[in-house]
Amino acid sequence: MTEPLILGAIVAVAVGTAVLGARGVRVAKTPADFLVAARRVPPTLNASAICGEYLSAASFLGIAGLALQEGLGALWYAVGYAAGYLVLLAAVAAPLRRFGAYTIPDFAEGRLDSPLLRRAATVMVLVICGFYLLPQLQGAGLTVQEAVGGPAWIGVVVLGVVVVVGIASGGMKGITFVQAFQYWLKLVAIAVPALVLLMLVQHPALTPVNRAAPPIFHKVTKVEFPDAEVVRVQRPVTVDALGVVDGVRRNGPIVLAGGDYRIGAGTTLTFPRGTPAPSVASNAVLSYRQWELPLVRIGGHVAHRLASTYGVVLATFLGAIGLPHILVRFYTNRDGVAARKTTSVVLLLLACFYVFPAIFALLGRLEAPGLYTSGQTDSVVLALPRMAAAGTAGIVLSALTAAGAFAAFLSTSSGLLISMAGALSHDLLRRGVRSFRTSAVAAGVVVTLAALLVGGIAINVLVGWAFAIAASSFCPLLLLGIWWPGLTWKGALLGLVLGGGASSLGVVLTIAGVGKSGWPAVLLGEPAIWTVPLAFAAMVGGSLLTRRSLPRDVTRKLLALHLPERVRVPEVSG
Amino acid sequence: MTERQVVRAPVRHSPAVRQSPAAGDLYQQDNYGRTLLRSLIRAQLGATIAVLVPAAALLLLYPLLTVLVPSLGQASVGGVPLTFIVLGGGIYPPLVLLGFWYRRRAERVEDRFAELLEQRDD
Repeated sequence: MTEPLILGAIVAVAVGTAVLGARGVRVAKTPADFLVAARRVPPTLNASAICGEYLSAASFLGIAGLALQEGLGALWYAVGYAAGYLVLLAAVAAPLRRFGAYTIPDFAEGRLDSPLLRRAATVMVLVICGFYLLPQLQGAGLTVQEAVGGPAWIGVVVLGVVVVVGIASGGMKGITFVQAFQYWLKLVAIAVPALVLLMLVQHPALTPVNRAAPPIFHKVTKVEFPDAEVVRVQRPVTVDALGVVDGVRRNGPIVLAGGDYRIGAGTTLTFPRGTPAPSVASNAVLSYRQWELPLVRIGGHVAHRLASTYGVVLATFLGAIGLPHILVRFYTNRDGVAARKTTSVVLLLLACFYVFPAIFALLGRLEAPGLYTSGQTDSVVLALPRMAAAGTAGIVLSALTAAGAFAAFLSTSSGLLISMAGALSHDLLRRGVRSFRTSAVAAGVVVTLAALLVGGIAINVLVGWAFAIAASSFCPLLLLGIWWPGLTWKGALLGLVLGGGASSLGVVLTIAGVGKSGWPAVLLGEPAIWTVPLAFAAMVGGSLLTRRSLPRDVTRKLLALHLPERVRVPEVSG
Repeated sequence: MTERQVVRAPVRHSPAVRQSPAAGDLYQQDNYGRTLLRSLIRAQLGATIAVLVPAAALLLLYPLLTVLVPSLGQASVGGVPLTFIVLGGGIYPPLVLLGFWYRRRAERVEDRFAELLEQRDD
């Protein structure tokens, strides 16, 4: 369905970001201007900017979508995404700022004196950012599909091209002010629709009486199928069909007696009031009793669920400190004390944001059961306003969420691609401006192609994997590097290779379809639960066995990390 | 088209507000300096652990509790599922408060360390 207002909102965000960015560039012309700006950014503004870069498609669309599909247990992702900043605050922010290293490869080399370790860290930057960028592009596809009705690949390609061209031409550098603006835009774009819908939706009680029953269409509901799906009907129902059902063109009422039906792309089915919502065959609708459990749903047994919940908690809680595009932002803090203040405000801002995806999930369960039928749960934030609010109000609110979603893709993808291009050109290829541009184009093309190939995986699950890999590689490197004098470069390299390798392998095998159920599904699909301890053990064990490779001036490096600014003598680096 | 330039800070840290001559000892790697550094790191690590352990306990015990007491996972308050109340908002205030509390405590550790160095100068 084409809605000019929604398309307009998306274009407005893209143009607005470009204009703001261009103005920011004009104001700060020389490198010295950038430097002064960096020094004068107050912590609250800086915190908004970090949130602007951090809140991605996963936070804006993915959490609500996954919680709608898999149950409220998926909200653990949101909790972990926010709580990760507590780890960043308490263990990393101030020392990393004081050390003066702003990328993880910089830190790895500066702390452990090994160019080889630096290269390994660079490879991990590419892996983590790649996995993170993939779902951003998918989200853009979803948004364009929802707004314009075209195929999803258009959105993927458009966002890919916009971001690559923006970065390669040097016009979309992450200016603090633009990123800060993006946070407030995203907060308004999700909070206002959520609160309005909460008031509009007249529900006797939020909990249905029959907790074992599937969700029910409360009113006559038109379900659109942007993609071809197989729908499993449990109870016979007469629907009004417009499009292709089981290979036959239909225009009028048909009886779905039960069983699986192949619905063609672009088909619309209108369900009568009071009938239970069927689901796509690949993903059964949970009963309310199952849906409200606070556990991640992988595997069947309760032990599987507890283990996969811990996997998600561990990955997100520890993964946030290892995100390359976020750590770069700490450069703009004046000193270690300011870095701490910034991080604590980030935690507060994220906590405010993550209330709203949860509201969308709950309202979606009650008001948009049709999304189970069309298999489009990931688009609940975009679709719910038009389903729950009638007429212009619904369209305006939908335009608002579409604008927020696009702001989310733009800001996060730019940050990720800058990190990838920087790592590629600085550490693996020749240095220089040309090389940076080539790297940005190459990385952008590879990830865009990958996003077109990898379909059918929830946005939030993909981003969760980026966190799992970060938690299994950079998290132990940073924590041990900052707090343990005994870390050697050989130990760190062993941990990086084992932890990063094992978690990446688990993810790749899961995408390839290995481990569909039971423990294999849990251990490959949520690898953090064993790869994080593995990485820590390898780093500590490896370091204890290679004590001779300790950097010569460990004390000096620890001073650089931990000495408060006020007692420093100048020229730490000597 | 403008050239892209790498921007680097000329100084690695802002000029110290008060400089303690004793801080120089820390760099000389004598025993006293090393002991002082170790005590600073230990105090900082203490603050870090004091905030991360309760946070981790909160995140790890709640799912375990709902497995051990299944009715907890399906309870509701005034028609709103308890899971929604906890994971959709209730869990955040303690985390945010822990964050602000850590900041105060870490700054106190640094104040005490600076005082220690100054006392030694007298």
